[in-house]
Formats: sequence, structure tokens, C-alpha cells
Amino acid sequence: MSPDKLLVVKDLSTTFATAGGPLPAVGGVSFDLGQNETIGIVGESGSGKTVLSRTIMGLQPRTNVTVSGSAQIDGFEVVGASENEKRKIWGTEVAMIFQDPMTSLNPVMRIGKQIDESLRVRLGMSKADAKARAIELLELVGIPSPAERYSAFPGQLSGGMRQRVVIAIALACSPKLLMADEPTTGLDVTIQAQILNLLDELKERLKMSVILVTHDLGVVATRTSRIIVMYAGRIVETGSTRDVFYHHRMPYTRALLESSPKVSNHSHTRLVTIPGRPPNLLKLSDGCSFAPRCKFATDKCHLVRPELEPSVEPGHSFACWNPLPVNGEEPTS
Amino acid sequence: MSSFNHPSDNLEHSILEEYSIVERPEKKKKLGVLFWICVAWIGLNVIGAIFAAVLPLQNPLYENFSAINLGPSLHHLFGTDDLGRDIFARVTYGARVSIAVGTGAMVIGFGLGAPLGMLAAHRRGRFDAILTTVMYVFLAFPAIIATIAVLSFWTPRSLLKIILVIGLASVPLVYRVIRTATLNVATKDYIIAAKVQGATDRRILMKELLPNIAPVGISFLLIGVATVVTLEGALAFLGLSVNPPTPSWGNMINEARTVLASNPWLVLFPSAALCLFLLCLNFIGDRLRSHFDVTEVKL
Repeated sequence: MSPDKLLVVKDLSTTFATAGGPLPAVGGVSFDLGQNETIGIVGESGSGKTVLSRTIMGLQPRTNVTVSGSAQIDGFEVVGASENEKRKIWGTEVAMIFQDPMTSLNPVMRIGKQIDESLRVRLGMSKADAKARAIELLELVGIPSPAERYSAFPGQLSGGMRQRVVIAIALACSPKLLMADEPTTGLDVTIQAQILNLLDELKERLKMSVILVTHDLGVVATRTSRIIVMYAGRIVETGSTRDVFYHHRMPYTRALLESSPKVSNHSHTRLVTIPGRPPNLLKLSDGCSFAPRCKFATDKCHLVRPELEPSVEPGHSFACWNPLPVNGEEPTS
Repeated sequence: MSSFNHPSDNLEHSILEEYSIVERPEKKKKLGVLFWICVAWIGLNVIGAIFAAVLPLQNPLYENFSAINLGPSLHHLFGTDDLGRDIFARVTYGARVSIAVGTGAMVIGFGLGAPLGMLAAHRRGRFDAILTTVMYVFLAFPAIIATIAVLSFWTPRSLLKIILVIGLASVPLVYRVIRTATLNVATKDYIIAAKVQGATDRRILMKELLPNIAPVGISFLLIGVATVVTLEGALAFLGLSVNPPTPSWGNMINEARTVLASNPWLVLFPSAALCLFLLCLNFIGDRLRSHFDVTEVKL
């Protein structure tokens, strides 16, 4: 493991035991993340991106789940670690911000107190120091008159402000890795950009690494150095953001890109959709899981699953038997 | 365009100011006069029960055969019963039994049921499954039949035994309510958020879960006290509570029932005391719940 890698994930799988049999929500995912790097994980609903991010955090239900492989955060092996062991890295090494700021703040606790808590418990600060630091954090995430907001209840803040508070809580113990699971999905578009810019700025200032989980390619376009495209629990394409946007080889990536609305389109342009539905993870075929929806699919696609293989650009790989041509047409945006 | 000088330059500014501020002012909610009247009434009952012995009351057990079945008068505020005992004194002393049983049983019920319910909902898994099954088995027995059965055979009856039996019978009920309330909160993102900030189980239970279920807990506690007071009344009515001649509201109603036609005063006062006590408790519980509900929209 090279020392500049903050997170190394190797062959990570998460399987849920359900009444219908084992459900492989994440299968054989490997990637790594450097210091101060932002990586984007994109995919449709049900592609396993949330389960992947929670598995990396070490947040699985206590029962009916098996995790195999390895995920090391700064050298700490998360897979198989007990809650007590994981508690040592939670907050200080890795922190998480959630999708919906309406439910990720305790409604009966003043927001200052919610930030204070981890400062006092984890860092052993005195009451006064913690309060001063909490107000500093509130200011850092761009909350106006932080000293007054310190004693506000979450119900008194708007969605965007709440998400800022959630970020402040996550940053309290200066984690090295910030896991942002769809941080802007619960917010309206005007606030989305603000929150994403804030994350970007904080990442630079605090020298953190960020994993941005999203289904919105617009969100990851300018803010990540690399992108992982997931489908049915597996990585189907990964590479630098530029390569994934302009030199993608996997038809699913193309389909995903094509289905984003574009500013240059005329109004009332029908949005492109991917025909069919994501596969039932209980009944995965041996072949490529995207094959049933893919217009390039051949017999082989239905029978044998393609593994990730490198493309021409360094660090760019894809899993497809009939990839799009190298330097295929650029997306028409 | 520029000729159309709208007089709203200032207006617009003020609207903007009003709406760009994200804060909604924290309005001081008032509990209302009725709430305080109810609190005062409960307080009066409790004080009366505690200090009954030192208050200028007549002896509730003293049988004055020269003054039987009297209506209310200045000398006997609530009248007297068929043995010439002062009803006012008996109602005041009767509050002792009712309040002791009500609070005592709920202390036992919440002392056992609430921590177990919270723990089960927080830990889930096998611990929860086993505990919940056991509790539901107990719930399958109707509490009143069970208490009647136990109290019939466990003689001699004393206040402590009654409190213990009713208290234990209420454990599964409290467990179920607290577990459900906790479960409702425990699956919320902010609990996971606290966990990934490194909060310990104890901290999550005490600081995150407890304040969130407190409103439900308090309302259920007060309603529980009211239910237990009623249950004690029912037991007393069946002659299974404290032994006569010690007065309790329940056994006073029971004794008065036989002379209802000739002396209706007798049944009126203990019934009214019981009724008012329960009404006030329920009202306080409901008010407190809505008062401390910071999640309720305050617009």
C-alpha cells in the first residue's frame, strides 16, 4: 500500500441474506483514493453506490449481511472490525454527510450542541473551547451570524442551512476522508451549487479527500478528479473525469451521460431515458448485467461477464465486450 | 421601463430581507391557564395526601354514630357516611392510596420497561426478538385478570404488594410503547450520523434517543398513572385493594354504591375526586407533549 493512498478498497463485496436468497448489492469493487483527492461514484438508483459507501464506512446492519474483501482507511481495515474499533476512526478519520438534511439532524437538540458533542467527547475540549470552535465551524460552512444560530433548533433552519450544519458536524474532528452520500439530492438546484462549492472549498482548505456519491453527472463533472461508474453493484467503468465524460467505452456510461438534460437542448426536448429497468439483483445472469438494456449486446454479453480492462488512457478501464470505439464521438453538449 | 417607477424599491428590499433570513423566530409557547389550574389541582391532591395527618382534618376512621348519613355542611364539608365518618377526611386520606399506587406502580413500570424498550429498539437483532416475544406473551394475559388473580391469593394484602403487582403488570405495556417510540427514532439518519461521529451506545441512548422519546414517555407516564389509579379503583371496588377501613377512592365508591339511592353524596365526592384527578393528569400529559414538541411546525 503506497503511503499517499488514503483509502484502498480491494475486491469489496456486500451480500444481503434475503428471503429470496443472497442479494449481492456490491460485488468485487476495487479502487483507491489519494490524499486530498475527490472521487465521484455515479450510478442509477439501486446500483449499489449507497451500500458501497456505507460498507466503506463500516455501517452495515448487524445481521443478515456478509462483507468480504478489504477496505482500508489510512491503514485501518474496516471489514471485520468491531464497532468499538471502528468508533476510533469514525469522526476523526472518516466522516459522513447524508442525503437528506431534514432527517440527519436531531430535531430536539440545538445545533450548537450537536457540533459540540463530538468536540468534547472525541477531542476532550472544555465546554467553552468547544463552543468557540463550534461557532468557528458554523462560520466556516457559511452560516450567517453563527453565534446566534448556535442555539437554534434544526427546525428553525432552511434545508440548505441544515446541510451546512451537517457538514459542520462532519468536519468537527477534522476527518481525512469525507463521505458525501448524495449531499445535494434533498436540496433545490440553487442551493446545490452552493453546497458543492462549499465542499470543494473546504476540501482544499482542510486537505481532505472526498467521495462524492451521486446519480447526477452534473454534480461530479467539475469537482472530481476521477469517476467510478457503477451498475448492478459492480464498477463498469472508471477513469479520470475527462476520460469518463469524453472517452467512455462502456455503453452504460454513454447512456447515463445522454440521459442528463443539457442546457443547449431546445426547450421541450424529450429527455433521453435508458430503456428497461435495472436488473433484479436476486436474479443476475452470468453475463454482463447491462446486456438486457444494451443496444450493442451480443450473445457473449448475455453469457460471460466482462471484467474491467484498461483502455488506452492511463487509469481508465471499463468492463465491456463490445466497447465504443476509442475516441468515439464526443457527447453532443 | 425606467418611467415605470415602482414605489416598491424599499418594499422589495424589505421582503427580501424578510425571506432571505432563514431563521424562524422561536415563539414562546404558552402552556395556558387551564394547564396551570390542572397542575394546581394535582399539586393540591398530592399535598393533601402527604400532609393528611397534620392537616386540621377529622379522623377518617372515627365513627360518629350521632351523625350518620349527613349531607354536606360546614362541620362536615362533604357530609358523613352510614358509619358517621367524615367524607372530606376520607377523600383526602383516600388520595394517599390512589396516588401512592399510581406513582409507585409507574415507577416500577417505567424503571423496568423503559430502559429495556430503549435498549431493545437500539440494539435490535436477537436481544430485541427474544425480549419482545417474552413481553408479548405477558401482554397476552389481560393485566386486570392477572392482577386480580395474584392479589386474591397473595394475602395479607398491603399497599406495597399492590404497587408491586400493578407495577410489574404494566412493564410490558411501557416496554411496548417505549420500544416503538425508540424504534421510530433509532432508524433516523441523525442516529447513524451520531454513530459515525463516534458516539458510544450509551451516549446515543441518553443524549440522542431519550430526548426524542421523552414527550411520548411523559404523556404515557401521566396517562399510565391515570390508568393505574383507575385500576386500583377497580380492584378496590372488588375488595382487592387495601383492606377497609383504610379509605381509598375505589373502596369508598364501592361502599357508597350500596346506599346510592338513600345517600347519593357518598358516591359523588370520591367519584368526583377520582374523575378530576384523572382529567387533570390527562390534560397535563397532552399539553406537555405538544409543548415540548419542537418538531411541530410553529407557524
